[in-house]
Amino acid sequence: MINIQDIRDTAKDMLAKGEVRAVIGYRRGSRGMPAEPAFITNPEQAEELVWDPTCFHNLSLYLVEDRKFLAHLNKTSDAPIAIIAKGCDARSIVVLLQEHYFKREDVYIIGVSCEGTGVVDERKLAPHLNGFQATKAVFDGDDFVFTTAEGEKRLPAREVMADRCLECRNPFPKENNVVFGEDRTGRELAEPFAALARFEAQGTGERWDFWSHHFDRCIRCFACRSVCPMCYCDECVVDSITFPVTPATTAEEKANRIRWIERSATRSENITYLMTRAMHLAGRCTDCGECERACPVNVPIRLLNNKMEREAREKFGFEPGASVGGPSLVASFLDSDPGDFIR
Amino acid sequence: MSEQQAYEPKVVAFLCKWCSSAGSDLAGVSRIQYPPNATPITIPCTGAMSPMYILSAFNKGADGVLVSGCHIGDCHYIEGNYLARRKMHLTMELLKFIGVEPDRFRMSWVSAAEGAKFARVVTDFINDLEPLGPQDKLKKVVAND
Amino acid sequence: MEKILDKKQVDAWVAALTDWEVHAPVLEDGIWAYQPVSGAVRLNHPNTKQSPKGFAFPQREIFFSFEQIKGEPPKLTQIMPQAARHAVFGVRPCDGRGVPRMDKVFTDHVDDPYYNARRKNVAYVGLACNKPPSPNCFCLSVGGSPVSTDGLDVQLTDMGDRYFVKAVTETGKTMMAAASSLFAEPSAADKKQLKQIHADAVAHPQRKINDPDGAPAKLEASFDSPLWEEMARACIGCGICTFLCPTCHCFDINDEVQNKAPLKGQRVRTWDNCQFPDFTMHSSGHNPRENTAARLRQRVNHKFQYFHKNFGMHQCTGCGRCVSECPVGIDIVTVVNKVTENVG
Repeated sequence: MINIQDIRDTAKDMLAKGEVRAVIGYRRGSRGMPAEPAFITNPEQAEELVWDPTCFHNLSLYLVEDRKFLAHLNKTSDAPIAIIAKGCDARSIVVLLQEHYFKREDVYIIGVSCEGTGVVDERKLAPHLNGFQATKAVFDGDDFVFTTAEGEKRLPAREVMADRCLECRNPFPKENNVVFGEDRTGRELAEPFAALARFEAQGTGERWDFWSHHFDRCIRCFACRSVCPMCYCDECVVDSITFPVTPATTAEEKANRIRWIERSATRSENITYLMTRAMHLAGRCTDCGECERACPVNVPIRLLNNKMEREAREKFGFEPGASVGGPSLVASFLDSDPGDFIR
Repeated sequence: MSEQQAYEPKVVAFLCKWCSSAGSDLAGVSRIQYPPNATPITIPCTGAMSPMYILSAFNKGADGVLVSGCHIGDCHYIEGNYLARRKMHLTMELLKFIGVEPDRFRMSWVSAAEGAKFARVVTDFINDLEPLGPQDKLKKVVAND
Repeated sequence: MEKILDKKQVDAWVAALTDWEVHAPVLEDGIWAYQPVSGAVRLNHPNTKQSPKGFAFPQREIFFSFEQIKGEPPKLTQIMPQAARHAVFGVRPCDGRGVPRMDKVFTDHVDDPYYNARRKNVAYVGLACNKPPSPNCFCLSVGGSPVSTDGLDVQLTDMGDRYFVKAVTETGKTMMAAASSLFAEPSAADKKQLKQIHADAVAHPQRKINDPDGAPAKLEASFDSPLWEEMARACIGCGICTFLCPTCHCFDINDEVQNKAPLKGQRVRTWDNCQFPDFTMHSSGHNPRENTAARLRQRVNHKFQYFHKNFGMHQCTGCGRCVSECPVGIDIVTVVNKVTENVG
């Protein structure tokens, strides 16, 4: 069990000594149960930090934001930023380090192990609460305890945990500066890629029926892209915000700029967007599951990412975010890579 | 003419300039007969292939996409085709995953000396595409729904 | 016109609306969404994930098609929506109040032919909220009410085994007249019960904006407040808040090319979103709203200051969608309260 006070004291101590310029963590939100990201810069605020089953966010996203902000100001980091990272979040940070997005000394990783549980899936929780809203959630061993207007409700974590956490075998952030909680690497709460295997057992027609239905439903709010720490491109293929325009650029050139994907949220455009995103995340996605959680219309985005993850693992022996010095999936190769599909 | 015969698959062929592109030229100057359905786009190396090009070709109405480069060990840039092999494998798997027919995408190694092989690759591809009919899964539709 | 409708008769009423394509909330893929229905209308939904604004203002609207054959003048063909008449069942009062706000923009302010062609073919059959369907409801703070009939054509109130049905507009009366035999006259007891239900609904605690009336002036005074940066610190710049909102109406217009030679395609309007970085991006590369703080400030000010100045009402109807659905907990109630409480 993690004692949140230990995390607060660590944060407070580092801020007081000026070892870090900020601590990115979680605090109580203003809209009920879910925690929200917190950006703490003075030691007293460290008391606001929380650690509970609603700390879903992959905060490494904000390291990317910070890096972009500094670049915009033409500044370099004068002290590291401390960040609270779960197992999957820490792997995201490793991928960012592999890609030299920032330097290891720019970040101080306060690792937190999810131990035997993970984060709650609010969609799974709702049916357990008799129509009441939970206002608070806490870890208790392998259970979650929720507070509602009806009183306390104890549920085995497995019943309401996010699928990604059930399938996670690496709940412990290996890359860290300081870490809280037990190392339960290798735990098996559910068969990894079980949903993927079930889906793949279907034929081409059924698979297309499933995906065309979901691709039709995407509203292109880009929450999946926005919430993803790996989606850091300055210019995403779906917008054209950095199309270089000079006084010499003609109207025709502007009109003829490459537009890979139309703004319309129609099936074909949604496919091109979501498939491109899946490809860009191949070997980089650490299955933090934030894209699927953020999606307001429940498009099963994680299934696409899982497919890429399993391909990478089975065909190329590749684990995303395994070690800082490791190669990236699509910038490396092995002589033994499969090639029998090539004529 | 029946509908079956009226359908001519449109193929976008991304050809490496160091090998397959020259291979297609050789097929031409050697007067080897092969279907005219493939629109060639020369690329500097298959290592430069972005999955986006493939998705975009399908988006713009291609019935099939061919990527062709140098044999393993022959890359002008030493390792471009190794990188392509990995990337294209992932792209192909993803396309199959969402229910696109596996025969819509093909990759081949064709050297500058293999004009006959290029013709065979294209012929086989067209033959495999014909029974599938037009590709409308990923094709952009501008009309009202 | 006030009537009583047995819940068992709702499907018969829907079936009698032969002039209408009836849509009602259906739970599919884990979310409530308006779907065409032919019966089995249950109306036991909290609120739908997306607002019903898309019936008059769809996410994609084709304006016209264009074609240019070399040597000939370009050919433009206007494409007007050929939408059926939509009767939308189960619209919550907040979403009902979104309708006149959209009308202000597309009907009163300018005459948008596409919006109005659709709008005149939509009827909203509302469902009063006996209790707040979401923990983030705050309609009472923005001049609304869980029993408001604003924007609706018919209002239903759940009275256990029957609905109290009130026609709000002439369209609503016509819809009820389509199956008049199904409706009964309300008794004095029914009217008394309705009054009680409505009184209880209004008394239910909700989230609260502390000074909605003072908000426009206070927001104006807070334009340069450092709070915006603090409040927007977690914002990821996605489009959930605006795309799900019943009143956000900003759009983008693009030419979608189907064929390059001869040039052929369509000009389409799609929803746009003030939280996207490219929303205000100039072609020069300059972006006047260059960070999330400026964009959050814009959205809040549009809802609570600019719209109020233009039309004398808050643009926000308190549905709470942006609060509940924000992936990182940005909460417009808290934002407005925090920013305004710092002004004297």
